[in-house]
Amino acid sequence: MAGGMVNRVKQTDYIVDAITHTARTEKHEEVWRVTIGDKTFELIQVSQHLFSIRNGASQSLAAVIRHKDTYFVDVDSVLYEVRQATDIAVSGSHGDHSGEKDKIFAPMPGKVVKILVSVGDEIVEKQPLVIVEAMKMENQINARARGRVKTIHFNAGDQVGTDLPIIELDVVE
Amino acid sequence: MALFKKILVANRSEIAVRVMNACRTLGIPTVAVYSDADVKSKHRFWADESVHIGPSSPRESYLDIDKIIRAARTTGCDAIHPGYGFLSENPIFAQKCRDEKITFICPSPEAIKLLGNKVESRMKMSSAGVPLIPGMKTSSPDLAVYRKVADEAGYPVIIKAAAGGGGKGMRVVHSARELEEAVSAARREALNAFGDDSVYVEKYLVNPRHIEFQILADSHGNAMHLFERECSIQRRHQKIIEETPSTALTPELRKKMGETAVTVAKTAGYTNAGTVEFLLDESGHFYFLEVNTRLQVEHPITEAVTGVDLVVEQIQIAAGLPISESTRTATQRGHAIECRIYAEDGENNFFPSSGTILYYHEPSGPGIRVDSGIWTGSEITIDYDPIMAKVIVHAPTRELAIAKMREALNAYKVLGVRNAKKFMIDILAHPEFAEGRTFTSFIETHFANRAENATRAGDLAVAATAVFGEHQTAIFGGAGSTELPTPWETLGSWQVGWSIG
Repeated sequence: MAGGMVNRVKQTDYIVDAITHTARTEKHEEVWRVTIGDKTFELIQVSQHLFSIRNGASQSLAAVIRHKDTYFVDVDSVLYEVRQATDIAVSGSHGDHSGEKDKIFAPMPGKVVKILVSVGDEIVEKQPLVIVEAMKMENQINARARGRVKTIHFNAGDQVGTDLPIIELDVVE
Repeated sequence: MALFKKILVANRSEIAVRVMNACRTLGIPTVAVYSDADVKSKHRFWADESVHIGPSSPRESYLDIDKIIRAARTTGCDAIHPGYGFLSENPIFAQKCRDEKITFICPSPEAIKLLGNKVESRMKMSSAGVPLIPGMKTSSPDLAVYRKVADEAGYPVIIKAAAGGGGKGMRVVHSARELEEAVSAARREALNAFGDDSVYVEKYLVNPRHIEFQILADSHGNAMHLFERECSIQRRHQKIIEETPSTALTPELRKKMGETAVTVAKTAGYTNAGTVEFLLDESGHFYFLEVNTRLQVEHPITEAVTGVDLVVEQIQIAAGLPISESTRTATQRGHAIECRIYAEDGENNFFPSSGTILYYHEPSGPGIRVDSGIWTGSEITIDYDPIMAKVIVHAPTRELAIAKMREALNAYKVLGVRNAKKFMIDILAHPEFAEGRTFTSFIETHFANRAENATRAGDLAVAATAVFGEHQTAIFGGAGSTELPTPWETLGSWQVGWSIG
């Protein structure tokens, strides 16, 4: 790539899996070079949403699309949700409750089949809390932290959406 | 002269599209039916005509026999293909089609009815010499009966509650010494759980494999099989990875099981395509389970290794033609694997996922086939089975097929809902899978403590995002498009030239 014209250099912070990565992006002719920490990746755009990434001696195909303020990414069949760091401060909730370990949501609209715990119960991480039926299948929702059941907002047989928590916990960190 | 004037496809999603493709090959126009939830679905637009048949609830649309018959009548269809699921194994629907003089591209109502009754069909097959899992048919007050059956079946055996399910009243017994106590314990548990202490004993299969045989039979008395499919890799008791040939079958065992499958077809007076399911235990004994009287989800792997178009055969057989000459002489060539792409979270207990497909891209290349019911903009709703597509690969050897599948899954992209591609890639990479040691509880056994986090590479995702963001800024001068692209913007396929030279 020696002698290539550098169009532009830009630095942006992105957050994925709760980790902030600073990406330094520059373009040499048709090849993008992205430096994150001590690694440099070479990327070429295959089509509007597809990118071939060279990472040292290995190659990956990535797909990216933006919806609202989230970038949905597939690299080597692993799925990521990436946000620009500046977007996060101003954005509200978009049905992504992944940060709230004290609230148990249905991941999709469905029907509560069974509540497996009672108010006051001590619970451990990964303990099954509630079974929700959607798409002809019963799905078990587990605790993501240790704690105690604070409130239960729904009963067996109730329809639930994804906006209100089914169960709230007092989390023990 | 075409075999039929027009065929109505009484199904949705990938299988409806698959059937329509076969009709197109044969020069037969197609009619799709669709519910409210499927107004924008791919299968609706893949057909030459489409008929709206009601609300999203399957009961009021895809399962409504009268509406489907009416749709066939008003569009001038003389045949109906049911796909799999929905009405495909419904003898009342088959009979109704016959009464209306519409050809139902499936077996006769009589065969569907016989094989749909699991108890009756097993007894009939047993008297034709087809092996069943040895055991009692009903409960007995006499412990001696349990002893005798257990001794005949050979240990280990399992005690099951007649009223049962969910593991209640179930006991695995490894020796005759433990039998009496196990029967009493199972009775108590069954009484508590179901209010009925009836229990029976049958042979317990250790790490069984699910092996099925594709059968074809025509109205001229020809019945044959098209070899096996191994479907042992399952989650939630539903198959996700299938392959053929099975690593467990020797040529002798394949011949024996294949002949048994043909015996089943003949005993049932079967016509058209079907699947005979067996369990195979570790010592090479196989037991008849049931017949699926329809096309299977995993039929493409059989098509890959035999070169037969099963849906074309189904249509020809339904029109009264004999099984094609080329099909009758088909052999197994190479190895094929199918991975099912469901809208589900592979990293969260295969929890179903719903939403809009924001971006969709299929891999291509020699030996890669994708059967899909979605495209960019499709909605995955909670009304139906969340299968989106199937990726099928064919290669000269199993090892090459596994490698090809890994590449195909990595190049298959669907964004907007979750999927289990990564989980399936990890299964394919497991040393026990490589050795061909698959069985129905493979996932529970080898992936109980799966931790995906170890393989996450957020920096790669950020690198792609950064370039995408820069590119969007360069084109649109803003922070990037927030609108969904239309299918026309994203359907085009890339084929070559994506590696950096």
